[in-house]
Amino acid sequence: MFSYTFHWRAAFQALPQMLAGAVVTLEIAVLSMIIGIVCGIFLALASGSHSKILRGAAAVWIETARNTPALLQIYMAYFGLGSLGIHINSFAALLAGIAFNNAGYLAETFRGGLRGVPETQARAARSLGMTAPQAFRIIVLPQMMRIVFYPLTNQMVWAVLMTSLGVIVGLDNDLTGVTQNLNVLTFRTFEFFTIAAGFYYVIAKIITLSARALGWRLFRY
Amino acid sequence: MIMRFGILAAALTVAFALPAHADKLDDIIASGKLRCAVTLDFPPMGSRDENNNPIGFDVDTCNDLAKALGVTAEIVETPFPDRIPALVSGRADIGVASTSNTLERAKTIGFSIPYFAFKDVVLTRKGLNLNTYDSLKGHAVGSTAGTFEALALEKDVKAWNASGGSFRGFQTQADVFLALSQGQIDATAVTSTVASSVVKSGKFPNLEITGDAPYLTDYVCLIALRQDQGVINYLNLFINHQVSTGRYKELYDKWVGNGTPPDLTVPGVYY
Repeated sequence: MFSYTFHWRAAFQALPQMLAGAVVTLEIAVLSMIIGIVCGIFLALASGSHSKILRGAAAVWIETARNTPALLQIYMAYFGLGSLGIHINSFAALLAGIAFNNAGYLAETFRGGLRGVPETQARAARSLGMTAPQAFRIIVLPQMMRIVFYPLTNQMVWAVLMTSLGVIVGLDNDLTGVTQNLNVLTFRTFEFFTIAAGFYYVIAKIITLSARALGWRLFRY
Repeated sequence: MIMRFGILAAALTVAFALPAHADKLDDIIASGKLRCAVTLDFPPMGSRDENNNPIGFDVDTCNDLAKALGVTAEIVETPFPDRIPALVSGRADIGVASTSNTLERAKTIGFSIPYFAFKDVVLTRKGLNLNTYDSLKGHAVGSTAGTFEALALEKDVKAWNASGGSFRGFQTQADVFLALSQGQIDATAVTSTVASSVVKSGKFPNLEITGDAPYLTDYVCLIALRQDQGVINYLNLFINHQVSTGRYKELYDKWVGNGTPPDLTVPGVYY
């Protein structure tokens, strides 16, 4: 039995506010992906290195990021660090939590991608006189990116959806934060949550479609 | 004869079909169960004892109401943001969860007359010397998102527009206390009952109540679906009886402390 009358007109008046929230959400997702990709590449390299310390550190990061809930990681970035006297604001805590999570997952993706680039490529580059970093940057990395491009878009969508966890650390200007605020003010739960779901769907769809277009353009043989 | 039987059958069908038109109050009485949505992280109104049983002013109020209706009470634990979904989806019949009666919310949900009233105080960390409400100017403050006191505090922070001043809304009261004791925020405005209960609990020894927050009285009501007018009528009379029989004062003494319970009327106007 569902006894509820929808008030769409009133809910639609909040659309500009929610759109502004969606922008913040996208901002956090993009930033967390950039940080995540950079950290992920280093983690992937570290986990394949000869140094035991580097391998160990990378393993701890990757294992924690992949095997604990993102919610916990974000909560720890805010209240965990807070209990040690380190205070970062809600935005930074959410960003750090998601970037940490992204890096862990992407490291594994990149590791697989690196395996997919034949070792002979790097050796050929070195024999042409490139330094090791040059060989990695110019020869290996672009080929790896081709392999990991679609998993990367997956992670990007996942990052967008993870931003909804920001409310637990008091973030109130992202899409979920704005929605939750409107909800407690007016109690029109179903309208606002439906609109928010619509926003998330559209954002995710835009990301996958534009990634497909971009991939089609970039990775033609 | 067959004809008569047909009429009898028709009459019986009508008689059994009738309860379909019964209102929510009939449904509750018929089912023998009253399901109350209660928030259990809001002591002393609602919390859990050592054995994890729900206790508090709201829990006792629900039990009293169930007794009056001649049914058994069932407590449905509901965080603040989930009170309305719980009612609308039929997981609970009524809400006994300190719901502030704003006009905005009344467009969605039905309110009874007030069954309790809160005053707000300033809760801060010891040693910060935030002794008056105005001294919060320029400090990071926070509260439970969407609550009466959160709205008032956020409005004032915006009005002060002081550098360094900010407002954070958290999802639960527990997170507000955690953030306050860790130093993420310097002060919060919180209902006096909750503040004294958390200070008394000893869980956050570095917190102290320093003064009153100059807000309007926060009248809180029982809630039911807006169209369940029969239920709301009953709730109103129930609250009237709780106060006139002295049960209201009894519960106040039991959960809040000996004293005069808050006046539930607004002078100069009919409810």
